Amino acid sequence: MRMLALVTDGFGGAGGIARFNQDLLQACSELDEIDEVVVLPRYGDTEHQSLPQKVQQLPPQPSRLGYVTGALKAVRHAGPFDVVFCGHLYQAPLAAILAKIGGGALWLQLHGIEAWMGPSRLCRWAAERAALVSAVSRYTRRRFLAWAMVTPERVRVLPNTVHDRFQPGPKPQSLLGRYGLEGKRILLTVGRLAAAEQYKGHDKVIGALPALLGEFPDLRYLIAGSGDDAERLRGLARSLGVEQQVQFLGDVDDKELVEVYHLADAYVMPSTGEGFGIVFLEAAACGIPVVGGNRDGSLDALVNGQLGAAVDPDDQASLVRAIVHAVESGRRPNAYLSRFSRSNFYGQVQRMVQLIDNPERVLSV
Amino acid sequence: MCGLAGIFSYHYAAPQVDRDELQRIRDHMAARGPDGQGEWFSDDGRVGLAHRRLSIIDLTERGAQPMATADGSLVVTFNGEIYNYRVLRQQLEDKGYQFYSESDTEVLLHLYADRGEDMVHELRGMFAFALWDSRKQALFLARDLYGIKPLYYADDGWTLRLASQVKALRAGGRIADDLNPAGSVGFYLFGSIPEPHTIYQEIRALPAGTTLWVDATGPGTPRPYSTIAGIFTGAQGAAESTSLQDVQIQVQEALQDSVAHHLVADVPVGAFLSAGIDSGALVGLMRDAGQSDIQTVTLAFEEFHGRAENEAPLAEAVARQYETRHTTRVVTRTEFEADMPKILEAMDQPSIDGINTWFVSKAAQELGLKVAISGLGGDELFGGYPSFGEIPRWVRTLAIPSRIPFLGDIFRRIMTPLCRVTGHNPKVAGMLKYGGRYAGAYLLKRGLFMPWELPAVLPRDTVREGLRRLVPVEHVDALLSPDPRYAFARVASLEAGVYMRNQLLRDTDWTSMAHSLEVRVPLVDATLLRRLAPFLCRESRSTTKQSLARAPKQLLPSEVRARAKTGFTTPVMDWLQASSVLKPWERVAPLRSTHCPWARRWAYTIGDDALA
Repeated sequence: MRMLALVTDGFGGAGGIARFNQDLLQACSELDEIDEVVVLPRYGDTEHQSLPQKVQQLPPQPSRLGYVTGALKAVRHAGPFDVVFCGHLYQAPLAAILAKIGGGALWLQLHGIEAWMGPSRLCRWAAERAALVSAVSRYTRRRFLAWAMVTPERVRVLPNTVHDRFQPGPKPQSLLGRYGLEGKRILLTVGRLAAAEQYKGHDKVIGALPALLGEFPDLRYLIAGSGDDAERLRGLARSLGVEQQVQFLGDVDDKELVEVYHLADAYVMPSTGEGFGIVFLEAAACGIPVVGGNRDGSLDALVNGQLGAAVDPDDQASLVRAIVHAVESGRRPNAYLSRFSRSNFYGQVQRMVQLIDNPERVLSV
Repeated sequence: MCGLAGIFSYHYAAPQVDRDELQRIRDHMAARGPDGQGEWFSDDGRVGLAHRRLSIIDLTERGAQPMATADGSLVVTFNGEIYNYRVLRQQLEDKGYQFYSESDTEVLLHLYADRGEDMVHELRGMFAFALWDSRKQALFLARDLYGIKPLYYADDGWTLRLASQVKALRAGGRIADDLNPAGSVGFYLFGSIPEPHTIYQEIRALPAGTTLWVDATGPGTPRPYSTIAGIFTGAQGAAESTSLQDVQIQVQEALQDSVAHHLVADVPVGAFLSAGIDSGALVGLMRDAGQSDIQTVTLAFEEFHGRAENEAPLAEAVARQYETRHTTRVVTRTEFEADMPKILEAMDQPSIDGINTWFVSKAAQELGLKVAISGLGGDELFGGYPSFGEIPRWVRTLAIPSRIPFLGDIFRRIMTPLCRVTGHNPKVAGMLKYGGRYAGAYLLKRGLFMPWELPAVLPRDTVREGLRRLVPVEHVDALLSPDPRYAFARVASLEAGVYMRNQLLRDTDWTSMAHSLEVRVPLVDATLLRRLAPFLCRESRSTTKQSLARAPKQLLPSEVRARAKTGFTTPVMDWLQASSVLKPWERVAPLRSTHCPWARRWAYTIGDDALA
């Protein structure tokens, strides 16, 4: 099988979607069913990253027009392809057209919030032509099925996997010193601070701090990540009199991310907009107890509350209870993490590839 | 009979089966199976099957479910009856399979071991089951050709849940609330929910006559193993030269055979009796099959006393003829009003019918019956509905004009307001648009609301999305694949595949099960259909309701044979009209019109409660 992968972020790219695409394409390339994968990214430079065998990545095309031209060229020169993988819903129209021209099957990947509301008619048309849709979580799948007329058995769940570099470790002295956190108990959230989104639940955690400080007077809340919502959050902290306890770390270098997790006594993110919430897995892999929301894709990462607590983000009392419990339970390896192992992820990718090869697949009897 | 439930955590990320959830699903169906309950879990905790039992064949503990093979490799939970289980058992024993019970359930296990999924072709009866094959690590689901027994499943992308009832799945507490617009639209178009849709997005019916595999990838696509249209298509021309006398003999034999099979039970089998041919002939055939003690029950209403609608006198005549122990059960308005909350609670999915079956089932339960024979399906099999004449006539007349582009739509737009003024049935406006093909004409004939009327009762978004997903005419048309060509066979396929499957059989299931009563339908039987289809498809069709009337050795009373078809009427309509609480329809202008058919108001009353 030859596969063309249209992705926003390919090899060499940074961020959650880039990571997912890299894991997925790597897994595909290791399958016997796949002969070749041609990747066309909008962003991603492979200068510093080696590519898996069978994978060829075309130069990134950041402009829209350039991307379309590049895709058409790829089909003309490197086609035909049996499968057109579409890494983001907004690329679905192009992917659907390419699949139609080339006679291949369309495989659409859904991440999160982009697939929750009905998109443009064109996107919907394209999505409904997919032979296979893989959604990162049950929640994303459910929201997608609410607007897309696709038979449910064509929409499968392909969760994130967590990398080996996330491992338990002691609190790093260097960071404790840098941020003045010696002897403090630490809550952590990692994520964008986007004013337009405001769904990660930073404000819910800040709102819970006065009650939490009653339990743990030495508590600090670290917010890793940057964005235009920081001012609002600072204001909120001030108004509640907890500005001393909230520390904004700004963007964390990817190399330092594991150490930042190691600072925490609990990872807290009562979000209402997660497609999945890979950060829960990363924190749990570092041995940190996690607390998340129960209304979105977080439930998948939290395994319905088994990997970590899943609480109603709007229920402050529950949130406080869950955080207290998490901090008191202490850091330890998480038994539920193995579900999201690399081998499970690879197995699921293989099932997806077999499905797209034979959508009417039935078991041999 | 019974209720089945199951949870399969097929995805590697899914938590193990929640035992409490499985019990909640199972025990919501307590009335389906008051005699026992059971559950089974795989060693790894990823599969759980459960069962509520109404014991009818092999009343001992050995017949309990879920039932496993001796080596534990196969486990089944099953709702229904396999009427040919004794023959199948004999064949399997001859091959060396060892049986530990006298039940039909155990036959399913060994038959699967022997034939794999092709086993479904061997089964005569009504069934829905889930069978876990531990070697394949896969779950096999199947449902009978007609869809007599229900089977619903919900897949959230990690976990598959299944049960005999939609409300049971919901009682588990893990099904998303999202409504399915195709279910809502389907309800107002047909008066019942067209499968595979349900009112919930996440829950689907396993279509009648299909099987489904679920493995680590999740559920596959349901695969049909037989269709009614296919049976008709295969039968054509097979009996053109049979003499009329031979036809009647063969029809009689086929009917006797079906009734005899439907009497297999270790408890007494009673019968619903009306003044019609279907139920009366079945009681006669029960007598022919050798059943000496037959308990029969008829509904009567004080309002009908002394009127033609009163079925009691004729039913009593039939009962005397066949010497049954007969009960006429009078239902009053007071009782109806007292039962109404229970009816709405038991109604698994919105339906505009089922009230009569509710009370006749209740009456049968009061008499201590666990099993009753019903004449359901006689009209679908022998062409008893007016639709068998009207639909082919409409199609003949309208086939050509309906092909003229836009004419149907223009006519519809002009006629809709006219019908409102003149008080004509709004369906008249759709004649040109839909009447030119069978599926469209069927929608006209059986439809409750027409597609363009839906915005009066549902939000516009729901209507648009629901119609886009359901595509009503295509939905109906799919039942004519393969096309049986003969007018009779086409209408029969549609009546059995839409009205009987989604309305009559569903209503019979939830109303009878609410009273822990198994209803058996000898006229809804794949083997019977295969035997009769060649005669039903003959150019000069002589096999009619009268063939059924003539089937018992001792003929039905002549008044019954000659009685014009009235349908089974009740004064329920008047009761509902008079009821002060059930009037949400008064909020909707078109439903207030004096010309508005009562069924539409009733539909809105039900839909307003269930689809809000």
